[in-house]
Formats: sequence, structure tokens, C-alpha cells
Amino acid sequence: MTTNKVCLLGAGSTKYGKLNESIIEIALNAAKDAVESAGITPKEIQAGYISNVFGVADKQVHMAPVIMSNLGIPYVPGLTIESACGSGSVMFREAYANVAAGFYDCVLALGVEKVTHTGTARSTTLFSYCSDFFYEGGNGASFPGLFASMARAYMTTHKATEEDLAHVAVKNHENGLMNPKAHVHKKITVDDVLKSPVVASPLKLLDCCPFSDGASGAILCSEEFAKKSGRPYIEVIGSGRGASPASVQGREDITTIPSTVAAARQAYKMAGVSPKDIDFAEVHDCFTIAEIIDIEDLGFFPKGKAAHAVRDGATRLNGEIPINPSGGLKSKGHPIGATGVGQVAEVFEQFTGKAGERTVPNSEIALTHNFGATGASAAVHIFKKVDKK
Amino acid sequence: MIEEKLSTHKSTAEKFIEAANRKKILAQKCLKCGHLMLETVFFCEKCAGNKFEQVDLEGSGIVVTYTIQAVVPEGFEDVGSYAWVVFKLDNAPLRASGLLPGIKTPADLPIGTKVRVAGYDPKHGLMLQK
Repeated sequence: MTTNKVCLLGAGSTKYGKLNESIIEIALNAAKDAVESAGITPKEIQAGYISNVFGVADKQVHMAPVIMSNLGIPYVPGLTIESACGSGSVMFREAYANVAAGFYDCVLALGVEKVTHTGTARSTTLFSYCSDFFYEGGNGASFPGLFASMARAYMTTHKATEEDLAHVAVKNHENGLMNPKAHVHKKITVDDVLKSPVVASPLKLLDCCPFSDGASGAILCSEEFAKKSGRPYIEVIGSGRGASPASVQGREDITTIPSTVAAARQAYKMAGVSPKDIDFAEVHDCFTIAEIIDIEDLGFFPKGKAAHAVRDGATRLNGEIPINPSGGLKSKGHPIGATGVGQVAEVFEQFTGKAGERTVPNSEIALTHNFGATGASAAVHIFKKVDKK
Repeated sequence: MIEEKLSTHKSTAEKFIEAANRKKILAQKCLKCGHLMLETVFFCEKCAGNKFEQVDLEGSGIVVTYTIQAVVPEGFEDVGSYAWVVFKLDNAPLRASGLLPGIKTPADLPIGTKVRVAGYDPKHGLMLQK
């Protein structure tokens, strides 16, 4: 299959956290950032791809045309995409594919979420609808509960400890302190994590990402469009999608996520790189156990070894493979429709000199990984810095 | 006014619930290759066969993994302390999941503990007991 090169010309995000604006206004703020970052006007956008899950909680579904209208381009087609917590990356993949196929030269990929106004109990329930509800949410499993069951399986199989998991949270909070748009700016210790209230054993409050509002956007374009712009851009060199049985009970091995493995394999193959070529990665750490499983499934560490690698500092900013320099879902926040695009925005900031003190030095190739629910769907993308000389 | 009658066709979910109330787990067995699946499928994931028979499996098994829910979804506040459990069925290569009341600490439920289906609660789903 021959496809055209696809470039990332701009990206932007709102702050993640508890936001007062309507879901549409939050989305528009990120879209404006992305458009300005790319140095274009909305008139140059030929299609809009919008990811969102719980728009109904803020009384707005069919979001794409509303957003396009408010960007002053009501006759430009838009599409709203939902894939639970993986909505952003799955939508990004569709935007990528349409540019790669030559249908469009320039598109907007925009993710948004607003849930915090519903409160913790309602949000917990809404998120449980992303599970295979008849077998999981309907039997009393919350999302922390589903990942807690994966954590217990992992800890039993690989002799990992709750303290090992806590190191993920400590590292991501450390990175998040350097991200002005992060939801949670708080330095924590392993002891803080272990002493925080249990949400679903063995996971505690500080093993869990927060419920967040927020939006992130990206401008994707053809290589010709990017070159003509005269502005800095980066290249999307790999894109992969994968799937897993929807329910945890349906998986032969609960300590791995098949969709991640499949998506990563496709993305590495397309990019012509291997895990050792990746300079940093933004991965889906909705819970500390998720990051442990992710970085094994992505090939950065052998199965069963990631917990110890994290404890030894291998995933810190100065480690052998920095993971989640943005602070990840754990600290930056997890507005689920936006998260996958937020990861892309972090790569754009890193590669265009805008990441400040959390910059991963000398990085040229980066990976983003984002999944929906307990990994029923996943997408992996690989990006390459383009040197303009 | 035209009154529209609800279909009398029994859904797979209703059949699953009926089986659970007989302390069984309802599965789909592919008539072509014999592969067993819990989910309602229209094509076999192994051989793509499209004819199935529904079979009642003994609702007993051993705990593979679980969590004890401290923060619960809406509607589960009245259960008390409970575990959401994934268990492997004794007599089939399948896993199922359900709610096991009365579990307060991991010491109450070591991995490998025997559990069995107790029934189906309209509000709380598939109920288990030790």
C-alpha cells in the first residue's frame, strides 16, 4: 500500500483540570491554539476530526459540526469519533489516514472532554459504561476495579509489589510539576501513594489518574503543505491500531494488552524502527499498573521486568527510555476524549523547543500510545523530528 | 392509538440470567468446531462457523484475579464490602466474572479460592458465593 507522508504542523492544548467553560468552548480554545501553532487560518482546514466520549453529560453530542461552525468554517465536514479513553488516538489515526490517502491536504484533529461537573460518583458510573457492561460494570466493577484486577494478576504472576507500582506515580508527578498545563501539580513520595485511600484494592487513590476536563488539538497535513508553510513541523512515520477482547474475562493472559502489542508492531514496522530507537514515549498510564504493562507490551522491557526497571529509574527523564515526560495521564490529567491528542501535542512541544525544563535532550524519534477501556482498542503512533536546515 | 407490542423473543442476556439463576453459566458452542464462547457471537472466532448451540456450564470455578471495590459505581452502595471476581470455570476453558459479597480484605480471598454462581440479582448482576 502506498501512502503519502503526513506531517504535524501544529498542536495545542488547554490546561487539563476542572474547567468552567462549556465543552464546546473548551474544544475551541484548544483548536485555536493548534491553528495558531500551525500558522494557518481555519479556512485552510479541509476536514475536522473530533474525539469525545461523554458530550451528553454537557448536553452536546454531534459535536463536530458545532465546533466547525464556531471555527467559522460551517461548510467544512466534521466527524465525531468515540473509542472510550482511546478516542483521541483512534481519531488521530483516522485523520492521519485521510491525509495519507490523499483525500485532504490539511485537517484538524481535536479531542475534548468535560466530566468533572458530574461529580466522582456519576463519573465513576459513566466510565463503567466503557466496559463490557453486562459482564463488568453491571456486576459492580468500576474502571479502577478492572485495572486493579489486572494489577493483582500482574503482581501474582511477576512478583511485583504495590511499592513498585507507586514508583510510576512518583515519577509522573515529578514530570508533571514541569508541565504548566498539567491537572495535578503535586510532588509525592512512594509512602504517600501507599498511604493514600484504597479505591479498588490493590490500587489506591494515588495509583489512579484524576477525572479531568480539557482539550487538545493538532493540525495534520501533507508534506507539500508543511514545506510550503515554511514553519517547523514533524513527521508521522508510523501508525498502528489493535484490538483485544472487550472484557477482561475474555483474555487468556490478563497481564498483557493484545491491542497494544498489535498496534505497536504495525507502527514499528511502518516506521522502520524498533523499540530501542525510541527516544521517549507518552503512554497510557490511567493507573500505575497500566504504565507497567504498556512499557512491556511496547517492547521497552521484557515481560515481567518493567516494575523493577521503573523502580531503578529507567523511565525517568534522564533514564534509558523516558516515559511520560508530560506527566502522563496520572499527573497531566485524563480528559478521555482528548488524551490521545494531548500526547501528540506533547511530542510537538518536545520537538519544537517548547517543552521547557521537561525537554528530553537530543530526542529525534518519539512514540505515543493510548487505549480505550481496559485495552479493547489501542493506537500507537511514531513521530520523527524534521531538521530544517 | 396503535399499541406496539414488545417482542416476545427471549434475548441472549435473558437466557444468560435464567441460567445464572439455575447456578449455571450459559455459553455458545460452535456446531462446526466445538469452540466455546461466553459472548453472544454470530460467527465463531475460531472457524467462522455460524451455527451454535447454547450450553449450560457448571457455574463453579477458581478465582483467577479480583479487586475489592472501595469506591463503587452508583447502585452498588447497598452491597457492603464486595469483590469483583474473574474466575476460571471448572469444566470448561472459559473465564467468567461476577460480584462476591462479604469480601473485606485480600486475606478473605486468596487466588485459587473456589467460587460458584449463586444467582443473578437484577440490580447487582451475576452473584457469586464461596
